[in-house]
Amino acid sequence: MNSAIPYIVYALFALGGAAVYLAMPKPSGSQRRAALVLGMGAVAGLMVLLGTQFVAPNSNNFFFYLFASIAVLAAGRVVTHPIPTYSAVYFALVILSVAVLLVIQRAEFLAVALIIIYAGAILVTYAFVIMLAQQSGAASADVQAREPLTAILVAFVITGAIAGRIEQLDSIPINPTSHRVAQNESSEIDTAGQLGLDVEKEHTRGIGALMFGPYVIVVELSGILLLIAMVGAIAISRKRVPIDDTGEPRIPIGQIGREAPPF
Amino acid sequence: MPDPGSYILLGAVLFAIGLVGFLARRNLIVMFLSTEIMFQGVVLNVIAFGRLHGKMTGDVYGLFLLVIAAVEAGLALGLIVLLYRRKHTLDAETWSAMSG
Repeated sequence: MNSAIPYIVYALFALGGAAVYLAMPKPSGSQRRAALVLGMGAVAGLMVLLGTQFVAPNSNNFFFYLFASIAVLAAGRVVTHPIPTYSAVYFALVILSVAVLLVIQRAEFLAVALIIIYAGAILVTYAFVIMLAQQSGAASADVQAREPLTAILVAFVITGAIAGRIEQLDSIPINPTSHRVAQNESSEIDTAGQLGLDVEKEHTRGIGALMFGPYVIVVELSGILLLIAMVGAIAISRKRVPIDDTGEPRIPIGQIGREAPPF
Repeated sequence: MPDPGSYILLGAVLFAIGLVGFLARRNLIVMFLSTEIMFQGVVLNVIAFGRLHGKMTGDVYGLFLLVIAAVEAGLALGLIVLLYRRKHTLDAETWSAMSG
C-alpha cells in the first residue's frame, strides 16, 4: 500500500475535526454552513479513500459508502446540535445506518436487535427523560460547549493512532468466510464451525448455537446484570415521600405526580 | 463487502465523534447520547473482526455489548433524573465541586 495513505487519513480527520469545531454550539452562533461543507468534504474524501484503497476491484459497495456517510454526518450532528431532542432524532438516524452496515456484513440478527433495543427501547427512554427534564428556552449548557478544541485534539490523537496502523491491515484476507477456521485455531469456541454452519447463510442459527453453547453462562450473567441495573435505576430515581409525625405520608401514595410535582 | 479495514476506520471515526461529544458538550443527556455513538463504533469493529476470522463470536460479543449499552442507558438516565431533581438543571458544570 502507498505509504502516503496515513497522512491523507490524518488530513481528512483534521478536516472533519475543523467541521465539528465550527458546528459546535457557541453563544455567537455556529458557522453551520461552512461546517457542513467541510464535514461533507471530509466524509467524501474518506469514502473515496476507502473505496480506492481497501476494497477489491469490481465489488459493488455503493450501500456501504452511502450509509457510512450518513452515519458519520448524523453522528456529527448529534454531538453538535444545541437542542437535545434533535440530537436524539439524529441518533436514531445513526442507529438505522449502523443497522444497514451490519446487514451488509451479514449480521441480520444483530441489526434487528440493534433497531429493537436502541431505536425501540433506549431512545424512547431518552425521549422520556428529555421531556421530564426539559427547561423552558435554551439553557446556557446547550449554547456554550466546554473546551471543544481540546476534545477534538484528544479524538484526533486516538483516531490518528488507529489510522497510523491501518496499513498493516493490508496483509489480512478480505474474504469474510476466511480460511482461518480450517487452521488449527478451531477451538471449542468455534461451535458454528463444528456444526458445519455457513456463516453467511445461517447467521441466526450460528448465534444461537454459540449463545446457548459455550457462552451460556455469559447469557445468564447478562440477565443478572440487567436485573441489578433495573433495581439500581429504580433505587436511584425513586421519589422520596415526605412523612409527617404520625408516620403517614403527607401525600397519598397514589397522588404523587398528580398533586405533587414528579421532580 | 468492504474489507475489515474500512469498518475499523469507520468505527474509529464514530468512536472519535462520540468522544468529542462526551468531552465537549455540557448537557448530561447529550453526553450520554455521545457514549451510545461510541458503542456503535465498537459494535461495528467487533463484527468486522468476527468476519475477519470467519467466526460467529463477533456477533455474540455484539449482542453482549447491546446488553451493556441497555444497562448503561438505564442507570445513566436514572442518575440524570436524580441530578435534575437536586439542582433543576442538566448542566454538567454545576457538578464540578470536586474539580478543585
